[in-house]
Amino acid sequence: MWHDAVLVAGKDLRIEARSRVGLWQVVPFAVLVLVLLAFAIGPNESALRHAAPGIFWVALLFSTVLSIQRSVAVESGEGTRDGLRLSGIDPAGIFLGKAAAVGLQLLALQVVLWALVTFLFDVRVQVFWLAALACLLATVGLACAGVLYGALSAGLRVRDTLLPLLVLPVLAPVLLAGSKIWQAALSGNVSSGTQWLKILVPFAVIYLIVGIVLYGPLQEAA
Amino acid sequence: MTTTAPTPINDPVVILPAVRRLRPRRPRWLDAVGLLGVIGLGFTVWLGLWVTPPDKFQGNLARLLYIHPAVATVALYWVGIVAAGGSLLYLWPRTRSLFWDRLAASAVEVGAVFAALTLVTGSLWGRPVWGVWWTWDARLTSTALLLLLEIGYLALRRVPADTAVRARRCAVAALLIAVDIPIVHFSVDWWNTLHQGGTFIDPGFQIHASASMSWTFLLGFVAFSLVFVWLLGVRYQIEVLQDAVGDEELEVSLAERWSEDTELVGAGTSTGPANGPADGGGAS
Amino acid sequence: MSYVDAGYAIALSTVFVYAISLLVRRRRWDRALAVKESTPDEGAAAADRS
Repeated sequence: MWHDAVLVAGKDLRIEARSRVGLWQVVPFAVLVLVLLAFAIGPNESALRHAAPGIFWVALLFSTVLSIQRSVAVESGEGTRDGLRLSGIDPAGIFLGKAAAVGLQLLALQVVLWALVTFLFDVRVQVFWLAALACLLATVGLACAGVLYGALSAGLRVRDTLLPLLVLPVLAPVLLAGSKIWQAALSGNVSSGTQWLKILVPFAVIYLIVGIVLYGPLQEAA
Repeated sequence: MTTTAPTPINDPVVILPAVRRLRPRRPRWLDAVGLLGVIGLGFTVWLGLWVTPPDKFQGNLARLLYIHPAVATVALYWVGIVAAGGSLLYLWPRTRSLFWDRLAASAVEVGAVFAALTLVTGSLWGRPVWGVWWTWDARLTSTALLLLLEIGYLALRRVPADTAVRARRCAVAALLIAVDIPIVHFSVDWWNTLHQGGTFIDPGFQIHASASMSWTFLLGFVAFSLVFVWLLGVRYQIEVLQDAVGDEELEVSLAERWSEDTELVGAGTSTGPANGPADGGGAS
Repeated sequence: MSYVDAGYAIALSTVFVYAISLLVRRRRWDRALAVKESTPDEGAAAADRS
């Protein structure tokens, strides 16, 4: 399973490296969300500073949807998914591989978003390890849940409108916990943040396990 | 694809004269403009950093004003004129020519680099003056949005398509950007003014310009403008080359595809292997 | 390093690096086109290009 995962992850990352859709489309989209939310919340600098953690996580969540759609789309060519299934690769391995590829791209995106939020909203992370830990844990959860729901909506023609509708409510706890932890990390109040890790960790673990178990059956059903 | 005879094709010394014979498209004036621009930049830096005196109000910080407004002018005005003008001229039937499309696309790419540079230099100037790296004022915000829109244009351009289709699509996109930026600028301006009740952070400045400062200022403008022209020219040449190479590849792969199809007649549907061509647009 | 120095350094190096990258890209496409035009058979599509 692990070997297959590495194989699939490598394939997805290589496609991304060649087509650079993530770099040229997902990253600018994330930046755009930052800018639009800044417009929405108003020119008052203190309001923006206060909203900065939430803005980071909302931008990340929307970008995750895009990333997932792209991850599903690379196999939407005729017969590609069937070929993948018939090739004998362990479906759990496919799941892990795709989730790993999405996860790595999300991590890269978060580095950019982190820098931009600091720059645009005049905030600074006081407790680096807390913010970083939140990002890492959240990424695992986002990638696993995302790939799973991507598979759910994969064959459907309404995939593009259905996927956000399905996956965003599921990802809401990540948004909640992430924002709270980042608020803590920005203000320096560590204790108020660490309790929210109790949401991120189970979320990541649950969707990792569920994904490994359910991805295969999902593929058969599609 | 190995041959026993030494192939001169891979020898750069042989290729370049061959290319020159086939396509005489390296105008001398372009390199001259580039050289003048570089010399101008050199003088701007020398004058800007060493010869000119520090400003009465802003001290040494004013030295950035030899760079930032010049870069901003290129990013906003020269790029805007070339990209929008080129797009218009392409869409207008009487002047339609791929030359305008390629020129506009080149301007957008160079423009994106200059827009990013405008934001960075503006930010570096703003930090000691305002105390923050960024402020949501009209000029900075619209430049940021311009950069995002230009990135979108460049992403659009990378989608594989027939040359004329792509040209039309990108021309419309460029014109929409040109229309949009002033709207954004005005609305953000208003947004700020209403919030802060009239007087807001004015990215303008108080500066007591001596003669040497004014000349350096002007030199900076000229130098960056010349550099812009050169960059535009080279980028345009790349655009032409890409299309020339691309056309041949398209013909070749079409020919291959057609020959495949004739072989498959009567073979029924094929279960496609998982390695289709990796393209940039896999969505429906 | 002062803000001024940083600004000058970034501005000049960005322009310089971009200019070099354009020249490199032009050279590559030059080569690609030359190869394509000198080898008229279909194998040219597989030849070195970037």
